[in-house]
Amino acid sequence: MTSVQDLPQVRGVKNIPVEEYFTSGHRTCQGCESALVMRLMVKAAGQRTIVLGSTGCMYVANTTYYSTPWVVPWMHTQLGSSGSAATGTAAALASMMRKGKMKQEPINVIAFCGDGGGVDMGLSAISAALQHDEYNLLIICYDNESYANTDIQVSGSSPWGANSTFSPPGKVHRIMNKRWKKNTAPMLAAGHPDCKYVATTCASYGLDFTNKIRRALTIGGPTFVHCFDPCPKGWDYDPKYSHELGMLGIETGLWVLYEIVNGELVLNGPSRTIAKGIRQRKPVEEYLMRQGRFAHMTKEDIKFFQEKVDESWEKWWIPGLIPFGEKEEA
Amino acid sequence: MATVAVEVVYRGIYQRTLARNIVRSIVFAARKEGKIGTAFGRYGDSPERNGIPAKQFAIVADTPEELEENLAVYEAQEVDVTINVDDTMCKGIESWAWYGLEPINKLTKPGGTLIVTSRQPAEDLIQDIHQRSEPFNLSIIPSTASFSGLWVYKDDHTDMRILGALCKVCPDLVSLDSMMAALKDQGTSDVKLSSAQKAYDRTTQRPVEPGEGSTEVPFSFDLPGWKSMEEGLVIRGIEQGGGFRGGQEGYQPARNAVFKKWSTRSMRPVVNFETCIKCTLCWLQCPDTCFDVTPDGLFDANMESCCGCGVCESVCPVPNCITMVNEAEFNDNNSEWEAWQKDANSYKQWMTALVEKQQAAGERSHGFHHVGGYAEEIANSRDS
Repeated sequence: MTSVQDLPQVRGVKNIPVEEYFTSGHRTCQGCESALVMRLMVKAAGQRTIVLGSTGCMYVANTTYYSTPWVVPWMHTQLGSSGSAATGTAAALASMMRKGKMKQEPINVIAFCGDGGGVDMGLSAISAALQHDEYNLLIICYDNESYANTDIQVSGSSPWGANSTFSPPGKVHRIMNKRWKKNTAPMLAAGHPDCKYVATTCASYGLDFTNKIRRALTIGGPTFVHCFDPCPKGWDYDPKYSHELGMLGIETGLWVLYEIVNGELVLNGPSRTIAKGIRQRKPVEEYLMRQGRFAHMTKEDIKFFQEKVDESWEKWWIPGLIPFGEKEEA
Repeated sequence: MATVAVEVVYRGIYQRTLARNIVRSIVFAARKEGKIGTAFGRYGDSPERNGIPAKQFAIVADTPEELEENLAVYEAQEVDVTINVDDTMCKGIESWAWYGLEPINKLTKPGGTLIVTSRQPAEDLIQDIHQRSEPFNLSIIPSTASFSGLWVYKDDHTDMRILGALCKVCPDLVSLDSMMAALKDQGTSDVKLSSAQKAYDRTTQRPVEPGEGSTEVPFSFDLPGWKSMEEGLVIRGIEQGGGFRGGQEGYQPARNAVFKKWSTRSMRPVVNFETCIKCTLCWLQCPDTCFDVTPDGLFDANMESCCGCGVCESVCPVPNCITMVNEAEFNDNNSEWEAWQKDANSYKQWMTALVEKQQAAGERSHGFHHVGGYAEEIANSRDS
């Protein structure tokens, strides 16, 4: 295994590095939280970084029409192949350095995918990448809960009942997306016990986000970070609420902030205080009624949604993470 | 008459349903008169992004052959009427699929009409619109820009008022009777029809002569041909940033020179540098990397790259330190921090006046806030 860069944990939001490696002039929506993910991600990683991007908003909106906001080298890869592009790039770097064609130095390899590219299409390639523990790489999934680039089609990460191009509420069938959101990060953590680091985060918590990226890049081996991204276009809200809705998603207990470091689970931020009983979860209604994609929901729908979230906190084996437990013997 | 073309310039996603309602109704009305027409969105604008200017067209012809002839071009090169549904786009529009800024009236035929929904007087709007050598007409529909998101439509009759006004300024297109009949066929209520009728009765046109308007030269760039593109479609990355305004201290990122994004903005942040506590949140949470870090640790929003999302205003912990103000109030993209450095007192006066005006005007609706919010906004606007 090659060495890693010296990227110390940042203490305090004011100590986040000032240098930008993802700059202005990208064609994302107003208030795009995923663009913020890109920016904070390379800010945490620093200059000696290669970024690979599978198809999705962060490819199309950033790098079409022969211009780019990237300062660090970036390459596009196909929808399902963020995992294979990351492994291939890390392997190529290792090989070039071994053969003396490149100076020996640790270079960060980050591959990003949206929920379409990560949770749906690219899951197998990510799984393969997480098995190759001889390469240092990070796969980050920016999850805006739909195929937002192509105008909001349902993905495996879309929440129950959300309006989308594929699940428009009608008079007879009001709830058209009947699937509950896929539990991706715990699946990858449980399925790859040698993977040293799996975490969830949200760019609304800039410091938490920065430190998780740095830990993922320095722990060694392949790592996965799943990021919760409010999307003003697909979720249908005034873009100034991007930050607030990210926080609400966590405060209502819908999205859980944690990191699994060398096989040990640590909850972070509001999720930690909720789990310890210091803080009450906010009702999901506060979160749902702020977004146009849930505007058709009735009281019963909201109740069902709330019960599903309650269940994940109160009945799951590991709250918010692992839904099953061992059957008690009679 | 052979063909009549109309374009609707709108803010992507927010006004997509509004634009579609307008262009489709035009085609339905044309059919009532035995004409043929088609309505379509510009290919390059898809997929749309919140706020980034986009276009939809309606083309109406007497015969199918004439229509086909017009559709053979990639997009309309000239239109009889340009409809602009947010007055801040009078400053020019930068489509996400295009290089550079285009004047709002670029496609408007000589003698054609530009319809704008606006609360501004004609003289103020003309100051924003780029000057050109042929005359055109300006027609204002007095209303606040109607913004809604992808799933919930804010039905404030803006589409009806525009269709009514359109029949008045462009009688060659369709008559008001045909428009009303087509709208009725679509199940439009009488209340909404009366909005179209009122707009028809009240709409006036103000001729804009050559030489009137903004003298700014819209920024433009050379499109690379296939010969100038690099092997493997390599795009040169952005340079690394450096000190603030080229100095040693502070930080200023280098920026994409061929896409600026400011025409996406319908509101801009106005900063009170005196109450700023340097918490860094506006800078940190900006998705567009638009804040420059000054040598004294303040944050100066770069107005060429700010797209007006308002996240900085909502994360700022100090009351009224950052206020989003209607873009129509501004005539340039100059640095606020530089103005404050130059003369703190006049900056303070200027800022206070803007903030007070914005607060009196109420919140500029920028999409969905909560269930039932649009109904409240419509009721409030009727009261006022």
